[in-house]
Amino acid sequence: MNNAILTIRNLRKSFQQHEIIRGVNLDVMADERHAFIGPNGAGKSTVFNLISGNLTPTSGEITFCGQRIDGMPPQDINRLGLARSFQITNIFPRLTVFENVRLAVARAHRSQYNFWSFIDRAPRIREHTERLLEQVRLERRMSAIAGEMTYSEQRSLEIALALALDPKVILLDEPMAGMSSEETLYMAEFIRAITRGRALLIVEHDMKVVFSITDRISVLVYGEVIATGKPDEIRNNAKVKEAYLGEEVAR
Amino acid sequence: MDTLVVSLLNGVIYGLLLFMVSAGLTLVFGMMGVLNFAHASFYMLGAYFAYALQGTLGFWAALLVSTLIVGAVGVIVERFVLRRVHHHGHAHELLLTFGLSVVIAELVKLFFGNYPVNYRVPKSLDFAAFAIGTSEYPFYRLLMGGVAIAMFMLIYLLLTRTRVGIVVRSAIYRPRMAEALGHNVPLVFMGVFGVGAALAGLAGAVAGAFYTTNPNMAIELGVVVFVVVVIGGLGSLEGAMLASLLIGVITSLAVGVDASLADLLGLVGARSWAEHAGGLLTLKLSSLAGTIPFALMLLILLVRPSGLLGGKA
Amino acid sequence: MRHRGLVGLGVAALIALPWILSQGLLNASIQMLIAALFACAYNLLSGQAGMLSFGHAAYFGVGAFGTVHAMNAFRGAGLLPTPLLPVAGAVAGLIIGAIVGWFATQRTGPYFAMITLAIAELLHSLAPHLRGLFGGEAGVSTMRMPSLGLTFGSTTQVYILVLAWVLASLLALYLYMLTPVGRLTLGLRENAHRLRFLGYNVHNLSVLVFSVSAMFSGIAGSLQVINNEAANYVVFDSSVSASVVLNTYIGGVRVFLGPALGAALMTFFGYAVSDLTQSWLLYQGIVFALVMVFMPSGLAGLFEKSESLHRRFGAAPLAPFFAFALGAAVLIIAGAVFVVELMQRMFSQDYRALATTARPWPPIPLFGRQWSPTSPETWLVPVVSIGVGAACVFLARHVLFKLQDRQESRVSATPFNQH
Repeated sequence: MNNAILTIRNLRKSFQQHEIIRGVNLDVMADERHAFIGPNGAGKSTVFNLISGNLTPTSGEITFCGQRIDGMPPQDINRLGLARSFQITNIFPRLTVFENVRLAVARAHRSQYNFWSFIDRAPRIREHTERLLEQVRLERRMSAIAGEMTYSEQRSLEIALALALDPKVILLDEPMAGMSSEETLYMAEFIRAITRGRALLIVEHDMKVVFSITDRISVLVYGEVIATGKPDEIRNNAKVKEAYLGEEVAR
Repeated sequence: MDTLVVSLLNGVIYGLLLFMVSAGLTLVFGMMGVLNFAHASFYMLGAYFAYALQGTLGFWAALLVSTLIVGAVGVIVERFVLRRVHHHGHAHELLLTFGLSVVIAELVKLFFGNYPVNYRVPKSLDFAAFAIGTSEYPFYRLLMGGVAIAMFMLIYLLLTRTRVGIVVRSAIYRPRMAEALGHNVPLVFMGVFGVGAALAGLAGAVAGAFYTTNPNMAIELGVVVFVVVVIGGLGSLEGAMLASLLIGVITSLAVGVDASLADLLGLVGARSWAEHAGGLLTLKLSSLAGTIPFALMLLILLVRPSGLLGGKA
Repeated sequence: MRHRGLVGLGVAALIALPWILSQGLLNASIQMLIAALFACAYNLLSGQAGMLSFGHAAYFGVGAFGTVHAMNAFRGAGLLPTPLLPVAGAVAGLIIGAIVGWFATQRTGPYFAMITLAIAELLHSLAPHLRGLFGGEAGVSTMRMPSLGLTFGSTTQVYILVLAWVLASLLALYLYMLTPVGRLTLGLRENAHRLRFLGYNVHNLSVLVFSVSAMFSGIAGSLQVINNEAANYVVFDSSVSASVVLNTYIGGVRVFLGPALGAALMTFFGYAVSDLTQSWLLYQGIVFALVMVFMPSGLAGLFEKSESLHRRFGAAPLAPFFAFALGAAVLIIAGAVFVVELMQRMFSQDYRALATTARPWPPIPLFGRQWSPTSPETWLVPVVSIGVGAACVFLARHVLFKLQDRQESRVSATPFNQH
């Protein structure tokens, strides 16, 4: 019946007197690509923060693989199999690109308390890292200092960090912001490929991308989901058109 | 009972003094995001300048002038030293203020000697205000409290009731936005830094006469101010006030308590064991009074890591 | 490691020192080694993990006292043979570091800094009350016991012991950076927040790093006690914490041996000029402030920059630049030292007593001459010195800019010149 891998029920978040998230309900299936759209300030990043543990909900439930994760610390949520990227690039600026990805990858190889082996001598970590870098087309920038790359290269790195640990659910927050149309096309295809068999929740403003790679779309306006459904249903939904998309969607 | 009242009064006044110094620190942190390690050095400078000028200007004028001089020093430090390293990041600026605190302390030792100086309450103010039971309460203590309260009211009114205050508050809260609106944010930074320094300097000028004035006073007070700010939360004036009073009162009360843990254990019949074990258990609370702020800090860290009133973690 | 040859040479030189230096200088070398280890241990936490501690004397001191009690155990026979005594310091540092670290790393940034300072001050104010543990004003003294056929009575033998432990510890610290935890330590500095979202328990990691740093600081404290055969609670003083911070950043935190370099240099100067001036800490503070403003990557960074300049322009064209830079440094330092030393003497108690009774103010002896504080010539000396030094700075920069301009115009003028 409900094989949703991620369930959100009546999620609310207030900052002092202001209620930013006003009762969000959402189901994400285990192998679905689900887009999260809405005007700026609707609260999409806030919902991501609530799901990933960056913020604690004021009330409501978030369930992942049958387990309640609302209020859990981010590292525990990540270890359960949920990973995210950030809207504002959140990398390790003065380390090399290789080092950045390796830090992410190393966790899967039980590195947290490992201080009796040399990381350079662990071939599996290096291969894993190199493979990931090839997939996001950063293999030629391996030795570059992450903070000195172009903005779109940093966004690719950001995505790589989210994917490093083979998560069951991936949250991508505007992953293609700042990329050229060629890069966006490549990235969209890459995201579609890499999320086969996984759940994806993606915040995106580029409607072409949204309509081409996602299975379902939820529209968030002023902290509430006003519509959920397949791309065509959303395209033709009057409330959505009125609140957000305007006439452009008809094209 | 009388000793209790005296201790409470002392504690409140000491707390107010602590607040005078920590208010500046917390405001500057809220504004610049940098902890100014040299803030307590301004406190020390206030005391030393007042001492140096007392002879030629008299007590009150020396108070005023030394406050202004310390404020000027603060402005110069912000404009010509700290501003140059803003772009290297908060950690870098923190380290630089640390270096400045060392330099200021050493300069004080150079000019005034590595020992306490004879900065005293002037005879005209050295009388008893009233009697509590058998002991007399010194007027100067009340004066210190009065100065602190007056300063607090002045700053509060300035910040909330004047146009300058509104600009300052907006610059503290959202510097880039304030700048975009055309306000001269660097000037505001300089001003707030200078006022914070002047506040600390005034506290030093007033308190240095009563407590000791020596080259270590910056570190001694500085550590307690830091504890205040950890407990109360950086950026929170209310938190600083609460924590200052808390620490002031508890420390003051403890100084009057001659009991030790061994005495406490005596309640359950373990006194002789405790006295035999010695060490920490037989230390009197009065001699440990100086360490109470630290114990409080550790307690808060265990129980409420984000400070008494929340604030930025 | 790029400079493997250089490091090897350095180690060889260090081993040869007992046969080259006098006893006094050898003793100074011991202190330099200890300071170098302390600085590198400190840098693990502050430069590499990005957690600025201002109370690291606590772990140095804990290691010291742990060792002195270990040495006095069993009526002086010692808990461990002399060469293994630093293990006591390591264990003490590790345990206290773990406990304090658990508290301190609950907060970050400035809060963390303040907590570390407060802990050290707590120890400093508590120590004189706990006579059994810390020996009160006089401290606790001990004696080195013979071991492995050596008496450890001579400075040379102590030097070799200290050198062995410092080199081993520095090697361990270096190898640590090559392990997964070592790389994570850098991740802590760069973006601890992101590490959480990669599944790492950042608090546990921070406590681990804190403990390791405290452990090696404890070894340094231990070596000092082995050398001095005494431990005193002044080891918890804020000046000890301040020194290691100043030394580390003067040396430069981007290079592994940078802090060691800064500590060795500062300790050496402190030793060399301690009889000549009372203002050594002032000089150190000023150098630190200048480094933080003008040379953020420290002295080690300075070497790296010189190297890269050398590679870019070659030695001969750079000669005038280095000459001016050196001249500037010498002149400005000379002028500043002159002013500080003059004022130190002017404001000293003895001179002030003299000055109140004698008019005009008596001359002050300095650097072998008499200087009258009221005559303008006296003050002209430092003004001129610093002025000329500042001029040298401008000249040095001018030379550098010209070299850069010339190189850039050469590059842009080569479309038809094929090499």
